[in-house]
Amino acid sequence: MKVLKKALLLAAVGSSLYATAASAEQVNLTWQMWTGSETDTKSWQHLAEMVTAKYPDIKVTLTTTGWVDYWTRLPVLAASGQLADIVSMQSLRMPNFYSLLEPLNDRIEADKFDVGAFTPSIIGGMSVDKQLYGLPYDVGPWVIYYNQDALEAAGVPLPKPGWTLAEFTDAAKKLTKDGKYGFGITPTNYSVLAAAWGDKYVNDAGALDLTSASAVAAADRLIGFAAKDKVAPLVPSGGADPGDVVQGRFNSGNVAMYIDGPWSIIGMKDQAKFKIGLTTLPRDEGELSAVTAGSGFGISTTSKNKDAAWKAIQVLTSSEALSYLAEQGRALPARTASQSAWYKVAAKDITNGGEAIDYSLAHSVPYVITNNWAAVENLLNQYFPPAFAGSADAKQTMESIQSLAQE
Amino acid sequence: MRQLSLRQDLPRMEEDMSQSAVAEVSLQPAQPRRFLKPETQTAMLFLLPSFLGFMVFMAVPIVASLALSFTNWQLISTPSFVGFQNYIRLFTVDPAFYTVLRNTLFFAVEYLALNIIVSLTLAVWISSLKRGKAIFRVIFFLPTFTPTIAASVVWLLIFTPDGLADTIIRALGLGLPNFLLSSTWAMQAVVLVTLWANVGYNVVMFNAALDLVPKHYLEAATIDGANAWQRFWRIRLPLISPTIFFGTVMTAITSLQVFDEIFAMTRGGPGSATATLGFAIYQKGFTNFQMGYASALAWVMFVMIMALTILQFHMQRKWVHYDD
Repeated sequence: MKVLKKALLLAAVGSSLYATAASAEQVNLTWQMWTGSETDTKSWQHLAEMVTAKYPDIKVTLTTTGWVDYWTRLPVLAASGQLADIVSMQSLRMPNFYSLLEPLNDRIEADKFDVGAFTPSIIGGMSVDKQLYGLPYDVGPWVIYYNQDALEAAGVPLPKPGWTLAEFTDAAKKLTKDGKYGFGITPTNYSVLAAAWGDKYVNDAGALDLTSASAVAAADRLIGFAAKDKVAPLVPSGGADPGDVVQGRFNSGNVAMYIDGPWSIIGMKDQAKFKIGLTTLPRDEGELSAVTAGSGFGISTTSKNKDAAWKAIQVLTSSEALSYLAEQGRALPARTASQSAWYKVAAKDITNGGEAIDYSLAHSVPYVITNNWAAVENLLNQYFPPAFAGSADAKQTMESIQSLAQE
Repeated sequence: MRQLSLRQDLPRMEEDMSQSAVAEVSLQPAQPRRFLKPETQTAMLFLLPSFLGFMVFMAVPIVASLALSFTNWQLISTPSFVGFQNYIRLFTVDPAFYTVLRNTLFFAVEYLALNIIVSLTLAVWISSLKRGKAIFRVIFFLPTFTPTIAASVVWLLIFTPDGLADTIIRALGLGLPNFLLSSTWAMQAVVLVTLWANVGYNVVMFNAALDLVPKHYLEAATIDGANAWQRFWRIRLPLISPTIFFGTVMTAITSLQVFDEIFAMTRGGPGSATATLGFAIYQKGFTNFQMGYASALAWVMFVMIMALTILQFHMQRKWVHYDD
């Protein structure tokens, strides 16, 4: 009997030792993310290290790509079975790529994970058919960044959130002088501004409808800034992302106002040598309709470490991680409770930053897109530049895009 | 009767011949039978890496793309067979296809003509120099070392609105619009950059061929009273025609495949002014995720290149002179 007891004891000790060894086994996770600058990359690396700090047995290896290339590489990596364990995803791209990600509803329910802690609009943005495919880290409405020094020098009063299109156009005209422009536009600003003005480019059935009177009117206004009022510089369709080109011209003081999201503050603070202010998108006669977007992290369906990846993305979107990102100015946190950190730190040196974001979030509407939005954006980038240059009108431009996008 | 006697003699003659053959063979030292000669085996060994590379990176993808052109593969989903639907859509439905085709042919014809004329002119000029031939060859060949994407990005900055090109155009009072924003001029910018980047290859090749033309032919022609133009047209040009033919075929093939310059400088725009087949394949496949359709486009490009090359080989009989 004594021998049996000893044997059982030894077996128990052995199995517990084995279990300890197994639990301490290192799990190596890969994480694919986009980046806009070195500062940006450092922030993501810090988050990866936060995962290991909480779970010493999990190591996250970060790989980064530029924003535009990220979306080209993603399907290629998926097709060749090389997706990372953790896949970063933007809400606007979720309808295209959700099939690459693991549905999270069951895990959320099993762990009683508090989804209610996040801003509802971005939870909606990361979901498809009520199934959540990623935990969001940021949310943000598009706003207008302005060069406060330039506005003051031109005698333009600092814009208040909720300003009108007429006020905006007047300011842009006053700011356009001495080879500098009042407003920097990109073709993809079209949908953001059309929504802000209450114009519809997608019909009630959810189909692209760029030739409706409302959609053409919005295009006519946007094109008018460059072609008629000449308050915006011309940007070619090739080369880098037109958004980067315009941001570069803003940072160098060549453009006084441009459209971007809160996520761009991180890079701008280091580069701009002037005081930066934020305000809302200009509204038309009605109330402002500010579209929002955001991004988060999902688990790849091909990951062999889904449980570890689930733990990791909870850390990457935890209050601590999002507060860190907010303090760095990287992102307006998707967690409502962490948003104050962004206002206090990231938006601290930005004139009216908090007010502009608050006003926009209070007037936020869903960003209406179609399933082929990536193709539509490419066509906007191809067909708007000649219209901006005055060689095509809004109707022709929208007809061309509509015709090609339906292919 | 004579025929009969001949037939009767035949078996004996065959027997004698076979016996003498056996006697001759038996005189040779015994050689082990080999499947391939040693030099052939060595050649095969050296060719093996290239052959494997060709199979893995060329043959398999080519066959795969043909198979994919009959599917609706969207990269992130499983492909399903759609028969000739992609090809039918391409020729009958796609509003952009014929524009893309026209742009490709326009670019190929203009670029090919300019490349051959410019490179031949430069090669003849370098050949006529008494000093500095090597320096000029290097100068013109240098851009071919530069990655096309990098060169195109620099040219993009030159052509960008309010950039260097606009400043020069304004200073000269030419009244031209910005090249990258004009549907008429954008392709000319692409042609110019492609020419700058690639003309050096043909310059060096043509120059080498010109230097190999025997001097005594030219001296004899000079003695006979031929002027410089006649010596070029009647002697040098026919003698380097095989090199020109090679340069023409290769340049035609690369011009139909143009992509880097368009990707970096125009992304097919403004509008669809510079969208060529190469760019359309990228756009459909990697930004619109229509890989099956992109594969069909790639096969149209393949057929075009093949047809053009066959035509060129057919035409060479009329103007290429080989020194047999």
